[in-house]
Amino acid sequence: MIEVEGLTKFYGNMPGIQDVSFKVEEGEILGFLGPNGAGKSTTMRILTGYMPPTSGTVRLDGIDVIEKPLEVQARLGYLPENNPLYPEMTVLAYLDFVAAVKGLRGADKAAAIDRVVGGCGLGDVASRIIGHLSKGYRQRVGLAQALVNDPPILVLDEPTSGLDPAQIIEIRDLIRSLKGNHTIILSTHILPEVNVICDRVVVIHQGRIAADGALDALAAGVEDEETIRVSALGPAEAIRSGLASVTGVRSVSLKEDEAGEEVHLEVSAGKGRDIRPDLVSAVSAAGGRLTELYRERITLEDTFVKIIGGESRNQEDAAHV
Amino acid sequence: MSNIWLICRRELASFFFSPVAYVVLGAWTLLLGVFYSGSFLNYAVISLQIMRNPQAASRLNLTATSAILSPVFSSTTVVLLFVVPLLTMRLFSEEKKQGTMELLLTYPIRDGELLMGKYLSVLMIYGVMLVLTFIYPAILGAFVSVDWGVVGASYLGLLLLGSAFLAVGMLASSLTSNQIVAAMISFMILLTSFVLDFLSVSAGPLMSQLLRHFSLGLHLRSFIQGIIDTRDLVFLVNVNILCLFLTKRSLEYYRWRG
Repeated sequence: MIEVEGLTKFYGNMPGIQDVSFKVEEGEILGFLGPNGAGKSTTMRILTGYMPPTSGTVRLDGIDVIEKPLEVQARLGYLPENNPLYPEMTVLAYLDFVAAVKGLRGADKAAAIDRVVGGCGLGDVASRIIGHLSKGYRQRVGLAQALVNDPPILVLDEPTSGLDPAQIIEIRDLIRSLKGNHTIILSTHILPEVNVICDRVVVIHQGRIAADGALDALAAGVEDEETIRVSALGPAEAIRSGLASVTGVRSVSLKEDEAGEEVHLEVSAGKGRDIRPDLVSAVSAAGGRLTELYRERITLEDTFVKIIGGESRNQEDAAHV
Repeated sequence: MSNIWLICRRELASFFFSPVAYVVLGAWTLLLGVFYSGSFLNYAVISLQIMRNPQAASRLNLTATSAILSPVFSSTTVVLLFVVPLLTMRLFSEEKKQGTMELLLTYPIRDGELLMGKYLSVLMIYGVMLVLTFIYPAILGAFVSVDWGVVGASYLGLLLLGSAFLAVGMLASSLTSNQIVAAMISFMILLTSFVLDFLSVSAGPLMSQLLRHFSLGLHLRSFIQGIIDTRDLVFLVNVNILCLFLTKRSLEYYRWRG
């Protein structure tokens, strides 16, 4: 549905993005992830035909954005970063304008406006002036204007930024409800959001693609090691050496404990086999009594930081993850 | 065409929502009212003097049109110098400042349609302003005979000159995201072009002709005398076309720069 190939944009001599390529399948929600200033907005602006790239091609629904921007834009809904709106217009007048500009007329237009006003929960504020609305409502107006022509492709640049937690959940639910009928690209730097909404992630860092794939696969690809935390009562040194002799364990480090009696250890092991039962036996064999044992979950944040941190170390590899 | 009209209608709605609209329209009618009153009073004084000195009357060729209306039509350009930058400053600058420009440029409309819509909106507001001033010739016409041909040519001239001013103002607005800066740029361009003919006094013959040619205000003169001179007509239309073209280029540059 969306094909981006070798996209490069220079701002003067400064590269905004370099050689960005990815694809989005029909009905998929793609999370576009990256730190601030990584090039997310630049990519999205090129995608929507707002800005021409220095080189590279973008095809949406098989149509080249640079050659036929108007045809692509008729199939597109875009919510820019910071959600710009006309504060002096009423919600209905604004949606009427957008629907008309996107080519809807007469009864079709009225039906489309009714649909997005209902779908985005704007019924109560429809005749109010946008400038007087709360930020949550304004965000819904922004989504409504993107959705009013029922576009097959939606580009949402940080749709939940600046909202309170309840509003964030509302907007996320709204976006999730669009899944299937629309192909969505959603940029964010809020990691849990990706977990909740997206099927697939593209990580962009310093203007280049740092990773592309399903979330779990990304996490698995980045981490080849897992950490298991063990706490026990008993002789510290004996337990440590006991744990270190378990097959699969790479290193064991002893953590100092203020209370003195309990021993805390951090075991690093290669991925693959579950060694936790072996660790339990090793503790008992060393004369200790196990009080706690757990495997650390790899968080999205860790994955993200690894991808971004690793990129500078091994740029070529990371680009092909 | 319909996209142009959509943009224009939205511009008009926003314009009449802002207080600038009412300040501009109010100041405009007030100032022209003052000019007309002054012109009337002046005419009254001159009439009195002529009654005492009948020989002068034949030399002066004083009519209600040439003595009351024409001076006001000339003064109107001075008011336009101040009013036009206020009308046009928000056209693109506000959209850039608010960020709505980004959305606007991703809707399926051509840049040309966008700028024509915006241009049409200020042109219509200016049209309304001109229609408002018609009350003065109308009042005059109720009491004395007015040369409507001259009045018509003057209004055509004012419409053309005003449209050229508006095109300059729109170009200035497309260059910056700051409305004040936009207003200052257009004011400076208009004022400079307005005073060019003052410089022509001391310039050489060729230079002086050039300066007078590019002096916007001078092109109104023949219209006010009731002459529709194609040279002036073509010049003013060309200024419009040039500014619209440059505005389109400015939009393309804005897109490219991102």
